[in-house]
Amino acid sequence: MAKCDLSIELNDGDVVQTGGGKISGIVRVRTDANVKCNGLDVRTVWKTHGRGNVATGTCETKTLFLGDWTAGHAAEYPFELEIANWPPTYHGNYLNIDHYVEAQAKIPWAFDPKASQMFLMRPTGGANAAITHATATKSGGIVGGILVGFIGLFMATFCIVSAMNPIVLVFFALAALGGFLFWFFRSFLPKFLLGEIDCKIEKELVSPGEKIQGTLFIRPRRNVSINKVELKFEAREQCVSGSGSNKTTHQHVFFEKVEHLEQATTLVAHQAHEFPFSVQLPADAAYSVDLSDNDLIWSANLRVDIPRWPDWRKALPIAVVPGDGSTAGTSRDTGTSRVPERSNRIEPDLPAVDVPLSANDNSLVTFAETANHFWSMRDNNDAAKMLAEAVMGLSFMIEAKIERRLLYSGEDDPHVYPNGYAVWAQYTDPPLPIALYVPHELGDEFEQVGRGIWKGQGTVVGWDHVHRRLQIKVDRPSSLV
Amino acid sequence: MTKSTLYRNAGQNDCRSEWLPWGWCNLRRNPFGELTRDERVSLAVTDVVQWSETLQQAMLECQRVAIQFIGRAGRGKTTRMLALASNFPECSYTYVAEDEPCPAIPWGRPILVDEAQRLTRRARQAVMTSGEPIVFATHRDLTKALRASGYDVTTYTIGTSNDATLLCELVRRRIEASRDGDGEMPEFTRNDAERLIVRFGTDFRAIESFLYDQVQSQCYSYGEMRFID
Repeated sequence: MAKCDLSIELNDGDVVQTGGGKISGIVRVRTDANVKCNGLDVRTVWKTHGRGNVATGTCETKTLFLGDWTAGHAAEYPFELEIANWPPTYHGNYLNIDHYVEAQAKIPWAFDPKASQMFLMRPTGGANAAITHATATKSGGIVGGILVGFIGLFMATFCIVSAMNPIVLVFFALAALGGFLFWFFRSFLPKFLLGEIDCKIEKELVSPGEKIQGTLFIRPRRNVSINKVELKFEAREQCVSGSGSNKTTHQHVFFEKVEHLEQATTLVAHQAHEFPFSVQLPADAAYSVDLSDNDLIWSANLRVDIPRWPDWRKALPIAVVPGDGSTAGTSRDTGTSRVPERSNRIEPDLPAVDVPLSANDNSLVTFAETANHFWSMRDNNDAAKMLAEAVMGLSFMIEAKIERRLLYSGEDDPHVYPNGYAVWAQYTDPPLPIALYVPHELGDEFEQVGRGIWKGQGTVVGWDHVHRRLQIKVDRPSSLV
Repeated sequence: MTKSTLYRNAGQNDCRSEWLPWGWCNLRRNPFGELTRDERVSLAVTDVVQWSETLQQAMLECQRVAIQFIGRAGRGKTTRMLALASNFPECSYTYVAEDEPCPAIPWGRPILVDEAQRLTRRARQAVMTSGEPIVFATHRDLTKALRASGYDVTTYTIGTSNDATLLCELVRRRIEASRDGDGEMPEFTRNDAERLIVRFGTDFRAIESFLYDQVQSQCYSYGEMRFID
């Protein structure tokens, strides 16, 4: 036996717990030697397991004991913790989500004894539509902005590079031709034949047992023969394991339903043809989930099969959320459920962000508050990146513990000052990892700080998704600006 | 036409003991799924003592020492790197992804770089001029470049010792780490291991993937777990 053994007993551990509720129990400790404990921590967590890279989140942590245990000591520590209300317990083929109560005793100079006990959790109600749409709009705006930026950047690069090198011009021209051909066959030709075509669904957020209803309208320019109109309704687990060259995407379709909306027929020219559809979700339909590398995706794909012609296809964005009447999918007071506007995924574990969106208005925001937001979403790169975009350009007084310098800060890193340095640091509370970009003239100051605490003014410039660090450019000394 | 395979959200009337897919064989999860970095290190069956001592010595005597792990994918290079990293609190570990810009490389003692053949010229130069002990996991021999920077290089080919004995130990650790409670666990036999080695060779990653599907096909089953049919 180790010096110290832990076990957990949950009250009502065998029944399904409700998301956002409380779970209680006892942590039992038995020691066979004198043990100094720097903290007996107990927490509620969720974790994925299966084929995808492990995603995890912590809901609440409490320290139950701090002090010394004597040999032969046996003690019980009762606890009550909040339960995360998202993601729900789920077991599939490649993706599994489970909730646990974990206990850990921090023992200096020894392995920390741990114990964990699994429990089932189900969300108690529907996604909060108001929050969902507000977030979706914001997300869409940012994504749109980024897209426009990329297109602009691409065009600028194209002009500059093609003026310099004709071989690159040929490469770009071939890439553009490929893109054009794809659009021509996939989108232009089917629409050219079918004329006016549109599809509407009543609501994108549906609950298990509900119907997805909508209508496909077609008003062709001329008489068109079609083989069929069908709606393929599908749910799949999509998990990513590894990264870089070891990255593998695993997909498992666990639900598939094909509805034939129309058999072979001829659509008469200039006449409006309507194809209403209504598909009922199974009463036990699994909820849409987006946990970074572990997704559960529902999709509805319409197809008009045209003989000897490219088919018309359209993917309808849908997300399956818990039923109405409650706030499942929204964290107790910091969370928000969200569905990206053009995606059928749900990312409900993002804390609400209440920071100014203008880079000119940070007088009321401290770095501690900003760091707390980043800390709470550090496991979700997309959310952290979005927050970094929101606070980019804000300047703060920062106090951070220096960890180590970087030997190489990345050839493409635009944040590094000419002849400057990059160091890794950690904010004090919470211990948020930071990358500091230091101007050359502050090199000596950082050398003297060593691994101590550095204080100074810096500006948020981004989020390093590889190392999950907030990127901050240290301001130049005012005398040199 | 409707097709549906097994999936489950926890329902109001479910109870834990009946709900676990492998509760019938005392497992709380499929043992062959992806692991966290810490789990991977704690379950690794590698002997890194020899390399740790070499590096320790190099750090004490400020020698330029480099260790190179060469081998094909799925043979255990990264596992060994992570196991080594866990022995050195001051170390830095960097994975160089294929389709992304070369990442930032922090100083460390030692400096560990996975997929080091992908380092850009400048990044490689920055690492090799640091003077700190280096551990590279690579598909291409970088001895020449390391020696040119004054490093004493030792190269190990990884995967040659991947046999049935090692596989047995690895699988048993994985199964034990997925234990749900006290009691008996599924048994992975040496015969199972030998048959898998015949089928997949030394590619342990492919074996883990195969075993995942085998175990997955037996959720909510009964009787005895079969690792290979």
